Amino acid sequence: MKLSTTIGLVADFVAERFPVTKMNFASMVAKKEVPVHKMSWAYYLGGLTLFFFIVQVVTGLMLLFYYEPTVSDAHASVEYITEYVSGGALVRNVHAWSSSAMILCVIAHLMTTFAMKAFEKPRELVWVSGVILLFLAFGFGFTGYLLPWNQIAVNATKVGLQSIEEVGNYLPGALSELPRILRETIQGEASVGQATLSRFYAIHVVVLPLMVMGLLGAHLFSVQLHGMSKGVDRESRKKEKFFPTFMVKDLTVWGVVFLVLFVVALCLPFESFFAYPLAEPYNPLGSTPEGIKPEWYFFFVYYPLELLPFWLIFLVMNVGAVVLLLVPWIFRGTSRKTLRTIAIAAAVYMVVITVFGQSIYEMLKGQ
Amino acid sequence: MTMRLRSCLSRFLLVVPVLAGCVATADAYSEFQKFVQTRSGRAINCAMCHANSDGPDGAGFGQIGGLSPEEIGRLNQARAAFEPGQAVDSPILNKFGNHIVATIGKTRLLEFRNRPEELAAALGTTSDLDGDGIPDWREYLDGTHPLKKTDGNPWLLFVNNLSRYRFHVIMIVFATVLTIYGLANLLRGSSEVHDATQEPK
Repeated sequence: MKLSTTIGLVADFVAERFPVTKMNFASMVAKKEVPVHKMSWAYYLGGLTLFFFIVQVVTGLMLLFYYEPTVSDAHASVEYITEYVSGGALVRNVHAWSSSAMILCVIAHLMTTFAMKAFEKPRELVWVSGVILLFLAFGFGFTGYLLPWNQIAVNATKVGLQSIEEVGNYLPGALSELPRILRETIQGEASVGQATLSRFYAIHVVVLPLMVMGLLGAHLFSVQLHGMSKGVDRESRKKEKFFPTFMVKDLTVWGVVFLVLFVVALCLPFESFFAYPLAEPYNPLGSTPEGIKPEWYFFFVYYPLELLPFWLIFLVMNVGAVVLLLVPWIFRGTSRKTLRTIAIAAAVYMVVITVFGQSIYEMLKGQ
Repeated sequence: MTMRLRSCLSRFLLVVPVLAGCVATADAYSEFQKFVQTRSGRAINCAMCHANSDGPDGAGFGQIGGLSPEEIGRLNQARAAFEPGQAVDSPILNKFGNHIVATIGKTRLLEFRNRPEELAAALGTTSDLDGDGIPDWREYLDGTHPLKKTDGNPWLLFVNNLSRYRFHVIMIVFATVLTIYGLANLLRGSSEVHDATQEPK
């Protein structure tokens, strides 16, 4: 294929995904319509994810005023925020609860988008940017987990980073050194320490937010440009105006969710779900306490890793990630019914492994 | 120099008899820890009752080997509190540990090593050292920290805090409803203005 032909194809592809003629207020807002059908509730999940992300940014900025990213002071500064800063415990709780809620919404949004076949042409790039945003959300979770510098944070991070190095055992020749180099680059020193905390802090508060804002901007712009997908096989006859009808409904959902988040953050400390020794300051000379686990949203990979060979899970996860990115092309001809079945199966797996993962692990290990 | 030598000597003379006579009872009572872990299913450590999460043995903060002469005096006083109701301020114990010794006395505490489940009832129903609304006896049985108000049975914490902050909750409900009402009307109004300006003249 000639270079000019390739450039022409790419230009056509981009022009179809970002039509200049639709880039105006009338098309993107005033005349935009939202289909009304049995799956309409799923249209609110993307907005909810955005809401939780905004909450994360606001509360994260508040925490920045007091948090100290040093191994000697990180835990003490978190304790100070919780115990002595006015509203500090509430802000920290809102940040912790909304991070989990954001990831839950991202996963639910991804699954419903898949089930509704909302990745169809010309929305392929909306899907791909959404999947990358999901990976970035996991990155936020992984880097943010270390920041309180307590027992569970540091030990879980060590386990996570160690698993990167294990990949080297399955790579040939000089390639086998790559994962170790990668781990040391992320870690910054021989063990998890000040360099790791500094890097995770920089990634959590600067690198990832910048990446998310850029990508989220493109994602939302594309959604507004192409409008909501029809979502069901038969085109819905009933439609409502995006502005103001859907926006008012969306705003009401945000309000209700904000109230729930506020009450939960005010009344239920996030830490109360951990055994208290796990929330103690990290002690490099002490023994690893019982119950070290990653956040709940990593259970879908954590428990299989505990039960099955590493190479198998590594392979499945990598193939899964590639398939996820290529969904618009792989499932182009698949019916919504089949997509719904796959999405339900994935959702059932996620719920079962997240809620009953520990019981399944103990049962299979005979504990 | 002489002063320093005298200080070291006096410290040595105080520490030696204490270590010689009391080191056998210096370790944390693991019977209580085992009972709580089995009953609650939660991992706990010495920090529930002790100043140091690794227990009283060692030379760190709140451990026997790191105590000053004044602290050793307080430790001995606490060790002699055999009957309940005495003032106890042991430097190797935290507020909850001191509260236990002061409430039930050293004699009963030692008896409870064989029946750790009875300690909960002996603590009484009113004491709540961290003020989280969950009494200390319940925190002991649940394996949660009696001195950390963010640690407790999640459901009980939620109910107690909801009751405590009900005024805040009512106010935030009002504020949110009014904000949504205002913003919704703003959006509707903007839409009407936009539609009106788009109509053909």
